[in-house]
Amino acid sequence: MKSYLRNAWLIAKTIGIEAIRRKEIYAIVLVSLVLIGGLRLVKFFDVEGLGKFYREISLKVMNVATALTVILLAARQLPREFQNRTLYPLLAKPIRRDNFLMGKFLGVMLAAAFCYAMFMAVFLFGSLTIKSPVNTGLFLQFVYLQLWNFAVLGGLAFLLSLLLNIDAAITICILLYVFSQVLMTLMSYIYDYTSAWQQTFLLGLHFVIPQLSLFDLSGKVVHGIWPPIASWAILALTAYGAVYTVLYLSGSYLLFRRRAL
Amino acid sequence: MAGENVIEVESLVVVYRNGRKSTRAVDGISFQVKRGECVGFIGPNGAGKSSTIKAIMGFLFPASGTVRVFGLPAGSVESHKRIGYLPEVALYYPFMKGHELLELYGGLHRIPKKKLKRRVPELLEQVGLYGMGETLIRNYSKGMQQRLGIAQAIIAEPELLVFDELSSGLDPLGRHDLREVLLELKGKGTTIFFSSHELSEVETLCDSVLMIRSGKIVCEGDVSDLMKPLDKYEIVFSLASAAEILSSLPPDATFEDDGEKKRIEVNSHEIYSQLLTSFVNAGAVIHHSEARRTSLEDFFVNLVRPDGERGK
Repeated sequence: MKSYLRNAWLIAKTIGIEAIRRKEIYAIVLVSLVLIGGLRLVKFFDVEGLGKFYREISLKVMNVATALTVILLAARQLPREFQNRTLYPLLAKPIRRDNFLMGKFLGVMLAAAFCYAMFMAVFLFGSLTIKSPVNTGLFLQFVYLQLWNFAVLGGLAFLLSLLLNIDAAITICILLYVFSQVLMTLMSYIYDYTSAWQQTFLLGLHFVIPQLSLFDLSGKVVHGIWPPIASWAILALTAYGAVYTVLYLSGSYLLFRRRAL
Repeated sequence: MAGENVIEVESLVVVYRNGRKSTRAVDGISFQVKRGECVGFIGPNGAGKSSTIKAIMGFLFPASGTVRVFGLPAGSVESHKRIGYLPEVALYYPFMKGHELLELYGGLHRIPKKKLKRRVPELLEQVGLYGMGETLIRNYSKGMQQRLGIAQAIIAEPELLVFDELSSGLDPLGRHDLREVLLELKGKGTTIFFSSHELSEVETLCDSVLMIRSGKIVCEGDVSDLMKPLDKYEIVFSLASAAEILSSLPPDATFEDDGEKKRIEVNSHEIYSQLLTSFVNAGAVIHHSEARRTSLEDFFVNLVRPDGERGK
């Protein structure tokens, strides 16, 4: 187990080095700086209620930017290894393919967590500056669930990247990300007006496509008037995220396990 | 442990499928490589060398047959602990520095950090990349990347080295350095199995060769034993009464007489020496004598080129 984790960590580190040296992380810093600039404007005009607006926009930008980072990073990891033939010397070392895959996934998650932490730092600093602090418990729950959101997306991007080419995998993953945000709302509107087989189809879709909106507590954080959500709900959402992540990673492993290099 | 089979390939078949079309890249080959041997794996492009090597590394899965390395299934973690591998074409993470890459590979081999800190600069010096450890790999030339590839292959002091296209991308100096490294490792008892198009290199380094064509082994054995029958020895001489000496010529010898000069061609160095001595003792005038040794390249061309293409 120790060597499994060590190998995964070694592989994960390469993704961190790549993200830093390829300057992708700097794009995130740039977005953060824009946020800070926006915050200064909010403070300058001192308009009532703009604190909530600031929180809403900031959290939305953070979530979308980090989700896109995860999709882009995860979807190109394996195809690039194949294309650049960097896989050969790596898999000639004493490392199993599942261990390699886990290392890649861990790397993507760490890069996502790093981006998100940077955003969070800017966001919290901004919230304190405009004297509009967030509910700490709720905020921690929000961050925790967002990480599960990114894990599900990362797993999905890995799976799609083994089935399709990079561009198609990224496009479909982004479409599914957007679709999953609105699926539940859409279903609640149209479900009662559909035929039996359409309802079955919608229910099937409901289970196949992960409901990523379930992980989004940003509405609660923006308004800040609700207490943190119950522990059982957090546990249930953790299990929900874990099931999808494991399913996608297992699918990726099954495709990668016997793939000829 | 000497004589133990390090690589055992048994009836290996590798098939590539592309839709309904399938290509048999390796067609039921069997061979063994014993501990401490240096074996060259040669054959024309598309003969099945890389496919065989990939099967040995567990990168692709045989349609049938078995491949075992150190008695273990090919591709197993336990076998990879003891193998150093250099791919035919490998690019290394361009965003990493040379020493970072070697530390990554060394780490996967579970080499302790302290030892790696010592080993990496030594290795870089050994492969001629001294002082390049801090340079990003994207700034390495093709030859430098190949040298880095050699360093990563030998980082864990493996018992078996598998090189796919040994000196691809290396300049003459690089080839020379690589040969030195390999001779040193061979001297230490490392088993070496490599494919190469540089037949002079194979001739210099290898104890034995395997030749493959169209997925089948067409020839295998000791390098010098294989080429001996193709060596030619020629004597052009003038001697009035040569009948007695000529009566002792072996049946496969060639004899031509244009009235003025006589020409003999034999395949054995011993017979050639005996004939030369006899002619000199008999007072013959030797116009020309030559030992034409067959190179591995001649042997390879002779064996691998299809009959219809010979002499083209």
